[in-house]
Amino acid sequence: MIQLNKNYSLPERLAEFIPIKIVSVGGAGLNALDRIVLDGLERADVVAINTDVQSLTSSVATRKVQLGRSVSRGLGAGGDPEVGYQAALESADEIREALADSRVIFICAGLGGGTGSGGAPYVAQAAREAGALVIAFVTLPFAFEGKRRNAQAREALARLSEFAHAVVCFENDRMGDLTPPQAGIHQAFAMADITISQSVRSIVNLIQRPGLIRIGFDDLLSALRTRNSRCLFGYGESDSDNRAHDALTQALKNPLMDRGRMLADATHVLVQVAGGPGMTLSEVEILMQELGRHVSDQTQILFGAVVDARLGDRLGVTILSSLSAEEEPVLPLQMPPARSSASAASPVREQCQTATPELEVQPEEQAVEVRPLEETVPFEEPVAAEAIPVATPSIEPSVIPIRNGEPERATSTPKEKSVPWKEEKAPAEKSATPAKQEVLQFEPVTRGRFEKSEPTIIEGEDLDVPTYLRKNIKVK
Amino acid sequence: MAHNNLMVGLEIGTSKICVVVGESRPDGTLKILGVGQAPSRGVRKGEIVDFETAMKCVHEAVVDAEQKSDVMIKSVYVAVAGSHLQSFNNRGCVMLPEDRDEIDGQDVEDVKINAREVSIPAQNAFLHSVIQHYQVDGQQGVLNPVSMLGQKLEADFHIIHGVRTRIQNTIRCVKELPLDVEDVVFSGLASAQVVLTQHEKDLGALVIDMGGGTTDYVLYSEGAVRQSGCLAVGGDHITNDISMGLRIPMARAEKLKIEEGSCVLGNCLPGETILLKDDSGFAGKEIERETLNTIIHLRLREAFELLKRRLEEEPYLGYLGAGIFITGGCSLLNGIDHLAAEIFEVPANLTHAQAAWGVTSAVENPQFSTAIGLVKFAQVMHTDRPPRGFGRIFGKLFSGKR
Repeated sequence: MIQLNKNYSLPERLAEFIPIKIVSVGGAGLNALDRIVLDGLERADVVAINTDVQSLTSSVATRKVQLGRSVSRGLGAGGDPEVGYQAALESADEIREALADSRVIFICAGLGGGTGSGGAPYVAQAAREAGALVIAFVTLPFAFEGKRRNAQAREALARLSEFAHAVVCFENDRMGDLTPPQAGIHQAFAMADITISQSVRSIVNLIQRPGLIRIGFDDLLSALRTRNSRCLFGYGESDSDNRAHDALTQALKNPLMDRGRMLADATHVLVQVAGGPGMTLSEVEILMQELGRHVSDQTQILFGAVVDARLGDRLGVTILSSLSAEEEPVLPLQMPPARSSASAASPVREQCQTATPELEVQPEEQAVEVRPLEETVPFEEPVAAEAIPVATPSIEPSVIPIRNGEPERATSTPKEKSVPWKEEKAPAEKSATPAKQEVLQFEPVTRGRFEKSEPTIIEGEDLDVPTYLRKNIKVK
Repeated sequence: MAHNNLMVGLEIGTSKICVVVGESRPDGTLKILGVGQAPSRGVRKGEIVDFETAMKCVHEAVVDAEQKSDVMIKSVYVAVAGSHLQSFNNRGCVMLPEDRDEIDGQDVEDVKINAREVSIPAQNAFLHSVIQHYQVDGQQGVLNPVSMLGQKLEADFHIIHGVRTRIQNTIRCVKELPLDVEDVVFSGLASAQVVLTQHEKDLGALVIDMGGGTTDYVLYSEGAVRQSGCLAVGGDHITNDISMGLRIPMARAEKLKIEEGSCVLGNCLPGETILLKDDSGFAGKEIERETLNTIIHLRLREAFELLKRRLEEEPYLGYLGAGIFITGGCSLLNGIDHLAAEIFEVPANLTHAQAAWGVTSAVENPQFSTAIGLVKFAQVMHTDRPPRGFGRIFGKLFSGKR
């Protein structure tokens, strides 16, 4: 067995620093952004964009852009995407200025409401025009938030995917599955933020961390290149005896991964293995072999390895890929939400049990790594929460204390940090309900004889609308 | 009517339903005995939206075909289309046991099953697995591996799948008549059977079957299906565009499209107009020819460009030795071949069913390509039975029963 020596880790190459911006649009996006900042993120700028001044002021983002000073007068968009869009239009120059000079722009938004649904597609457009790689992280509303809101979200998603290079889509419904049934509602809401935060951070790390086998901007581009695609993303971390296997299983368990089944169709899969100085070659080999079973022969694997002393004994795997999907807005619905927990096979259960005790240790190490405070605890939550529902059926008494301890900490921490923004979110949603009847469509569309048939939406365009109308060509 | 070699193809299209009765001759040729058709209602974009009405139309068409061909129709091959159909290529692999190195028919079946072991959405069912070629111990391009020696048999399949319930709807519509359904076939694949010769398949060809509601495409390269699919855009969309653009009723737009439509731009005199006659004899509306052509041109250009982008996801578009073959009702539009040739940068031909004879007026009409193709497909199925054997076996899985 070859032991990778500590001395091999390369010094940081600042020349390769890629300017990254993380932009949030709307209330839900802001929550996610705050979470990202609180979890600790180096080497990236954050920009908060919202119509609601109140929530902007309480945000921890360094740069803030208020949308639509005259359209919404500092209030929210009231659940109306049209207002959100108009507001974004009004502040177009400010948005462009905020987005300038970056090569990668992440957009976080919660779709379904006003600012997120209306503004995010515009911001994506502006970002793309600025010449950056645009990756959007969006949440879809809970089913109980109503069909209207869901329809708005899907419409916005379709528009967003026109402009963004990749859209990573989280369904709140599925996030709900990840939290234990007894957990408080704020935890369920925080779940989406946490998962988004995790994804963004690991992609940023992917680009910025120097590695033995480096994954760069170019690899990321080729993994996400397919237009109109659906993003597969998974991150796992473990420090057990069998950490290579456990980390991979955990990565594949991510809600966006569908237990690795989706990987079979992917043409490019980007894999980054990060570990402390103790990471061995055979571990990487085991991991890659195991992953190889999930991908087809034709798949190109873009492999990267990083030795980072800060990781200590832990080994982390990031898997990123995209599937080209024609009907992007429909796809998220096709995935039965129950799958993640229902199909949990017994081997996974075992790993969860072995993995859980170690999870407790993590916060301390994490704290050393990023920030010395309790902010890191929320980052811990997803791992525990993800593991718990799976393990519930055959849970051992030894695990229970941990589980009981976890929500306690979880409830105490967000009270300090996340509750303020949660409270602001609630009134925004309440005001959305009465506004529902007035919600406008993005554009008044005429579909003629196809008015009542199933729309044909390809590459974000409704093909039932006459081509000359969509291309704005005057025929008379 | 003791015709054992009678085969009937039924296509439930968006604009018309047609039934083709064909007979397989001992010399392997196909004779078309009769064609029945009825205008279609209750079908949009290739899929049934009004079950009762569609059933009546199917019945009409079947009765028409029975009268014209003087045959009692008992069972049919049915074509399916619709945007829910998807396809991909996958490779199956089986290892022979240590003590045996001769590949037999069972191994060929196993490799096909193995190739299907991929995840498709839960509500989808497999429609076809079309063999591309086999590999024995890494030897490429094996057409028939049975009785070859080897340890590892691999096979590349082109797999077409679609939403199970939607396929079942089509089947049910026919079964309620009642008629037996022998098999369901992706309509693009059916058209390709009669439009292309084996030589053209080997050279590489793209078949675009542009019908009323959908545009089906199948790309062949080196004799095997590489890409296929269905775009829910068709002649209906053109008619709709004309109707909305010129503000005339659908029926008149349809007539205008057929009689005057063209997708060639800049080919008419400046200010040239078409006079629409009013039914009551009053002076009707004048329409600029260029306007009409622009509307058609834009729609078709968009559809082809969309198709091109889809096909470009894989590298086969560069290997079309035989070119593009356009069939289906829309291929009657003036200039569509030039437009396709311009966009795909490959020569394009207008075509119709080639490998059949009989009712020549039907065979030469590109609108019947799919239905005649179904009969041809049936013929291939019949002669290939028992199916393991010749190179081109169509993976048959009766999705209605799964």
